[in-house]
Amino acid sequence: MLSALAAGGGFTAWYMIEAGSRLSTRSSGPWVTWTAAGRPDADPYTRAHTVRNALLPISSTLEVTYRAKADSRGGRLHAGCEYVIVMPGLEGAWWSLAAFDSEGRLIQNAAERYAFTSDTVMREPDGRAVITLARDARPGNWLPIGGSSRVNLILTVQDPVYAAAVYEGGSTRPLPPIQRVACR
Amino acid sequence: MPKLPKWLSEVGWRTVVGGALLGGIVHILFTLAVPFISKGHAYAKLRDALPANRMVVLPPPAPGREPLPFLTPDALYAMCRFDISVETLAVNVTMAHAGWTLSLHTPQGDNFYVMPAQQLRGSEIAITVVPEPDRSGEFIPTPRRIGAQGDQISSPSTEGIVMVRAPLKGLSWRAQTEAALRQASCRPVKRPQ
Repeated sequence: MLSALAAGGGFTAWYMIEAGSRLSTRSSGPWVTWTAAGRPDADPYTRAHTVRNALLPISSTLEVTYRAKADSRGGRLHAGCEYVIVMPGLEGAWWSLAAFDSEGRLIQNAAERYAFTSDTVMREPDGRAVITLARDARPGNWLPIGGSSRVNLILTVQDPVYAAAVYEGGSTRPLPPIQRVACR
Repeated sequence: MPKLPKWLSEVGWRTVVGGALLGGIVHILFTLAVPFISKGHAYAKLRDALPANRMVVLPPPAPGREPLPFLTPDALYAMCRFDISVETLAVNVTMAHAGWTLSLHTPQGDNFYVMPAQQLRGSEIAITVVPEPDRSGEFIPTPRRIGAQGDQISSPSTEGIVMVRAPLKGLSWRAQTEAALRQASCRPVKRPQ
């Protein structure tokens, strides 16, 4: 009985370090961010998460990094599916959207394309950018995700005002949904 | 009211409370210990690839050649593993474009200093990284001061990583960005006597 409860303590710690909780993370649809990542005054769960995952985050006083493992309907992001993300203008902030496998490795592809940033993406006349994630080539901003079964997306937004709002729990602009188009 | 299983009804409240306390202690100890016992952290991954107190421009991130997991791939990186246990560290970076970032990290990943390009009046950054004043009585107890080497930054640890991130605007910009990144330097400087 005692050992079971002790093991439970270890499991809950592991869960809060790996998956996070409302104490240490903030979500917007499928996007999750560790609000105190990189900050010297970060809570113990965030610090443990950073170390365990070999991350070197830039302080959330400057930028916010979101990670998505699922689409907006809750399905795991998978290399066999096609997804569309419509990035808003984000009011001139620098941003980056990158695709990785579940271990944080880049996904091999013939186009040697692993990310789009606000500098490299092709925009619509209204400033938005439509990014398609798919195994095979697509017109426009195509981000290849073939070769890996599970996919993780990392969205980084560099904007101190926005980062402060996220950290303090204030209202922030909604992040783009990840729409699943089709699966093989 | 449903009957509890016999084994469960024999468990006393003292055992339950004691177990909950033990679980709580394990939870807290595990959480606090991870940053210090984990061997796979970012600093450990970089330590062997980076000479001490020298800036190294890393190859562009590519599959199988990622310096760290989940690192933004549309950027070039220069890193310097610092060790200021004996000498201080002078860091000089010319921030060529908006989006460039200079950041200093402890081995546990704490980012204790960050400077983005767009907040600067000029594009040149010159800082000196020194140990925290309470760990060395040789330095004045202010977190920063302006001197010949610009801002003086107190590091909470004697070891860590300096990272310069230079976003790529496209393939055609790679050579220009890399050339600008190669201007970044870090070098040990003797402590004032």
